[in-house]
Amino acid sequence: MTMERRAFLSTVAVAGGGLAVGGVGRLEASPARVPRRLRILVLGGTGFIGPHQVAFALDRGHTVTLFNRGRTAPELFPDVEQLRGDRAAGDLGELGGAREWDVVMDNAATDPRWVREAAQLLKDRAGQYIFISTQSVYTSRAEIGMDETAPVGRPDLPREEWTGYGPSKALAEEEAQRAFPGRATIVRPSLIVGPGDETDRWTYWPVRVHRGGNVVVPGTPRDPMQFIDARDLSEWLVRLAENGTAGVFNAVGPEAPLTSAEMFYGLRAVTSTPVSFTWVDADFLREMGVRAWSDMPAWQVPRGATAGFARMSNARALEAGLTFRPLADTGRDTLEWFLGQPPERRERLRAGLSPERERWLLAAWRVRMGGTE
Amino acid sequence: MATRRQFVAGATAAGLGLGLGRFPASGQAGKEMEGRAGVGGTRRRPGLQDVPRAPRPLRILILGGTGFLGPSQVDYALARGHTLTLFNRGRTAPDLFPGVETLLGDRAEGDYASLSGRTWDAVIDNSANVAPWVMDSVQVLKDAAGRYLFVSSISAHSDNSVIGQDENGPVFSEADYHEAVASGVSPGAAFGQHKAQAERETFKAFGDRGIVVRPGLIVGPGDRSDRFTYWPVRIDGGGEVLAPGDGTDWAQIVDVRDMGRFMVHLVEQEASGTFNATGPEAPLTMAGMLYGIRAITSTPVTFTWVAADFLREHRVGAWMEMPVWVYPEPQTRGFSAYDCSKAMAAGLTFRPLADTARDTLEWLKAKPEEERTLRTGLAPEKEKTILAAWHARNG
Repeated sequence: MTMERRAFLSTVAVAGGGLAVGGVGRLEASPARVPRRLRILVLGGTGFIGPHQVAFALDRGHTVTLFNRGRTAPELFPDVEQLRGDRAAGDLGELGGAREWDVVMDNAATDPRWVREAAQLLKDRAGQYIFISTQSVYTSRAEIGMDETAPVGRPDLPREEWTGYGPSKALAEEEAQRAFPGRATIVRPSLIVGPGDETDRWTYWPVRVHRGGNVVVPGTPRDPMQFIDARDLSEWLVRLAENGTAGVFNAVGPEAPLTSAEMFYGLRAVTSTPVSFTWVDADFLREMGVRAWSDMPAWQVPRGATAGFARMSNARALEAGLTFRPLADTGRDTLEWFLGQPPERRERLRAGLSPERERWLLAAWRVRMGGTE
Repeated sequence: MATRRQFVAGATAAGLGLGLGRFPASGQAGKEMEGRAGVGGTRRRPGLQDVPRAPRPLRILILGGTGFLGPSQVDYALARGHTLTLFNRGRTAPDLFPGVETLLGDRAEGDYASLSGRTWDAVIDNSANVAPWVMDSVQVLKDAAGRYLFVSSISAHSDNSVIGQDENGPVFSEADYHEAVASGVSPGAAFGQHKAQAERETFKAFGDRGIVVRPGLIVGPGDRSDRFTYWPVRIDGGGEVLAPGDGTDWAQIVDVRDMGRFMVHLVEQEASGTFNATGPEAPLTMAGMLYGIRAITSTPVTFTWVAADFLREHRVGAWMEMPVWVYPEPQTRGFSAYDCSKAMAAGLTFRPLADTARDTLEWLKAKPEEERTLRTGLAPEKEKTILAAWHARNG
């Protein structure tokens, strides 16, 4: 799982060059401007959530500065101040000096060194440090209903040996908290979805449902699903800045538990295409070599080591003002964004089953269920 | 043989505190087409800006036109560039279409004088729930109109025990109709018999210039019967929602705007014959419908599926108290499983469920507070009581 998530992340970074901004700037209701205008420094800002975040922050009347390499979609916000540097090379040059910000939003870091360097450099010149972490920090996902106090990283190992995506993010969280004690906000999103997602990890579903016919869906109709619309996340991050909220938060949605049946029928509701669903048993999927998460996106087997994967508590985030758009909005906007991509981008989804493999799987499942294919 | 109408009447009687007083009028209980819009002159016609104009503009006479279904036909027909005449009593929402000619007359009185001397390419008859009205109107119009589209009902079918019934499934016979009339049953209670008889009158007068459409449950913004509206409203209200059965029972509904468009389309195509017309295209279960509606709202909501037998014990009425749903029984197996492939082949299309649900919810929310009370659905206290009893039984 962890490796898969990490692999996906590198895909995002590589694929980011082709980012389309169809989903950006489509804020449905322009929110009222806040009385206090913040100076926000965004580390990154041109990937998947960044553009939503920046657009919302600008809409709220804040002043935004972007800091990045200038390689990913540098033309995205021509009117926003851009500082250049390369955290991988330890080059924070343009962040030096006496410049002050109210809030730093660190979107782009997995390596704890990146966070240590940026946070230490900015700790006396910024009021709040919002670090976008991940659900992958948790040591285990076996428990149901885990909150932010659950263990992170690899408690069985000394910190020097914490490697891999989740443990690295856990160390990075510590760096943020060390530099900004009581002023750090650690946000741990689950799968981030919506228009602009170049991984297709959730996009697969609205696109697949819209294609119609018999859709293979994983597990049982009661399996839990958790994810968060990039826009809900981004808007909340800005509100966390406005409210100066510190602490650690699971950023998972929706508000009430969502079952797989509710998600798939909800996605069906945004299209006119005739469609039916066949839930294929988790054990059968494994037997057939169909992998949770990558082949069956957004889903993990809801038992054993991943029993709690999609049943994380979001109570604290709700308390801190996290809200969710209707699933139909996320589904429709994601679908429309994808359908607006160039044909070569649309040709093959980057996650999920290919049509051929899905047909084969469905046939195999029918045979297993006693049919004759 | 339990008919759709008998069934619906029975379901109503079973609903405690759901007397006919909650219907618009006794004769209209459960009818499939006309509600009362009462939207006034503030109609919005979203989504019709991009409708291409018809290659050949038609002169269309609409009998009725200001109820629930009528306005969707008018909106679409106007967008297509047709010229419309409405014929009605001038009582229901007379200001709805100020730019459209309205001829006055009362079908209950057989008063069609205002139609005389005029001709039309097509007639769409929305407003007849009693066969004699159609008997009169087709005689008046058979030489004055090219085509006559009669809005019948899926209730014209006399047997709901068959899954996947198409237009050839049995309908109430002439004898059924005469028997109902002779026995003094009200037209409301013999809705299907009247509709079936009116279908025959249509074809008798118009032959292959006759079109009969049998809609199922028509839903959407403007529906004053609330027979679907309950669900978007209830789900948007959040919390624990009582859902009927186990989620696998069939649901069939059709958006009023899809239906209006289809009827105009049939007239344009010079279609003839009979069309069962409900939706959606692929079979929909109650779970599919309710979870689809959930998708339009952010409100936290959970569904508790309560077994049909338990609902019966607690005297929950199908259809009106549990809208769209009927108790799954041998004689109702096909109630929401009609085969509408002929209509689809003839151009019936369906907008996404999310559009229907959202537009319906927004329409209801835009009404003045005092007009928002629903005519259908479980009373909140009853829902709570049954849910508590259900949880108690299941530990």
